[in-house]
Amino acid sequence: MLKIRGLKKKFKNFQVLDGLDMDIEEGALYGFVGPNGAGKTTAIRVITGLLRPDGGTVEIGGRDAFAYREQVKQEFGYVPDEFGMYDNLKVREYMEFFASCYGLDGLVARNRCMELLEQMKLLDKEDDYVDSLSRGIKQRLCLARAMIHDPRFLVLDEPTSGMDPRVRMEFTEILREMCAEGKTILISSHILSELSRMCTDIGIIDAGKIVLSGSMSEILRKVNDSNPLRIRLCGEREAAVDVLKEDRRVQTITIRDGDIVVNFHGDQTAEAELLARLIACGARINGFFREQGDLESVFMQLTNHEFQKVVFHSEE
Amino acid sequence: MRSNPVYRRERAVRARSLRIPLIVFVFNGLLAAVALLGMYSAVEHVKASSFIQYSNFLQLYVFVVTLEFLMLIFIMPALTSGSISGERERRTLELLFTTRMPPSKIVTGKLCSAFGQLFLLIVSSFPVVVLTFVYGSMSVQDIGLLFLCYVTAALLTGGIGILFSCLMRRSTLANVCTYGVLLLLMAGTYMLNVFLYGISRTKADSMLPVAGQLRPAADSGAAVYLLLLNPGTTFIEILGSQAVGSVDGMLISSFLGNRPLNVVTGNWILVSLGVQLLLAVCLIWGAILLLKRRE
Repeated sequence: MLKIRGLKKKFKNFQVLDGLDMDIEEGALYGFVGPNGAGKTTAIRVITGLLRPDGGTVEIGGRDAFAYREQVKQEFGYVPDEFGMYDNLKVREYMEFFASCYGLDGLVARNRCMELLEQMKLLDKEDDYVDSLSRGIKQRLCLARAMIHDPRFLVLDEPTSGMDPRVRMEFTEILREMCAEGKTILISSHILSELSRMCTDIGIIDAGKIVLSGSMSEILRKVNDSNPLRIRLCGEREAAVDVLKEDRRVQTITIRDGDIVVNFHGDQTAEAELLARLIACGARINGFFREQGDLESVFMQLTNHEFQKVVFHSEE
Repeated sequence: MRSNPVYRRERAVRARSLRIPLIVFVFNGLLAAVALLGMYSAVEHVKASSFIQYSNFLQLYVFVVTLEFLMLIFIMPALTSGSISGERERRTLELLFTTRMPPSKIVTGKLCSAFGQLFLLIVSSFPVVVLTFVYGSMSVQDIGLLFLCYVTAALLTGGIGILFSCLMRRSTLANVCTYGVLLLLMAGTYMLNVFLYGISRTKADSMLPVAGQLRPAADSGAAVYLLLLNPGTTFIEILGSQAVGSVDGMLISSFLGNRPLNVVTGNWILVSLGVQLLLAVCLIWGAILLLKRRE
């Protein structure tokens, strides 16, 4: 559905997008993640045609997004990070206004608006003024607005920021339903746990480039090998810590919930060696395992630019 | 225009807002107060002196239509200069850019909406203007010319407003720039002519009379043609042709000296209306192009 190649964008001396490549398959719910200033919003603004890139190509639905701008506009719906509301319009009027912006008028527009308001559970709000709505309802309205012309592709820029957990859950459910209906969704967010639960695919952007991309399960499997080792001990742990400090494959050592958590770079053989050395030094080990990966740990690993030294740190 | 979504939205919002009835009320209330007080004063003068001075009613007409013109000149920029920048501030402009609506429809929708409000003001003020015709009247042509002058001035000032609204990110800045340019266009071009005329007059006065030759009359030179852009000058010319003697000192002829009339100076009203309409079209076109570039 979306194919980006070598996208570049520079603001003054700051290279925001530096050869961004990205692919989103049809029907995917793609989480777009990155630290602040990584280029997420700029990339989204280029995809939606609000910014001209300095170089590179964007294809939506197989069409060049800049050469066929008018046709491509029909293909996507956009929900920006700030809603963009006409406060002095009623919910129905707001929807009908955007319907007419896509050339839908009369009964067709009215029926489409009602259909979407029902889908977003906003039918009881149709005669309310937009400025009287809560943030969560405004966001649902904004999503309904983006769907007014029945696009195949939805672009959402941090849609759940500032929402309480319940509203976020409801919103996530709506997105899942849409995805099940065959829509392709690109969603950027900072709430990684939420993305990991909802998305089928993920792309991590850093310094204007995609540093990791693929299906959610595939990424988690890949990063599990680089997840911290958790060592559970009975009794004294000083000797074990000394052994760990001496090992050059150990990057960080943290004491968490009584366990030693170690960032250890090595395969299963190296893990076995380490275990043997720990036992040899007299440590009484009753647990030695890799922590299960989550999106947050992947994100932290990929976007941490500072060289990590071997440190001993206790969280207790 | 009814198919323009921006225009329809603005009209719907305007229809339920108290702002427009309030503006119409204040605008016509002021005009009516001036007209009725003027009439009362003229009638009282007739009662006291048993002498009907018809020029009083002419002056009253001049006063009412001038007040109307000034109000229009100041209201139109206020309605247009915040229109596009306001959309940008609300973050709705970029949403419109992602729809299939072309920038030309956004600009024309906003302009027509402001123009519609102004048209309402002009039409609603007709009964008050007609009050001044109780002791006289004017031809349909004269009314038509005055109406055309109002429309042209509204388009020109609206064009300036909408251009700055597309150019500036903030409505406040767009407002300041619009009124700045308007001041330059109206007072600036006029004051330049007054200044150049003053210099020319000083020069002419200092020349020694030569036997058998007429002393050259003072004029403002080629700068007089800048006044073609000034809607105020066109309005004064129209008033000068309708109420002879009421605005004599401010007419173009006072800046022309004894230069012979040419096609432009001989048909000043029509030429200046044409120039201003052309300028308005250019400004509106410029606003559309600016918005297209930012799309």
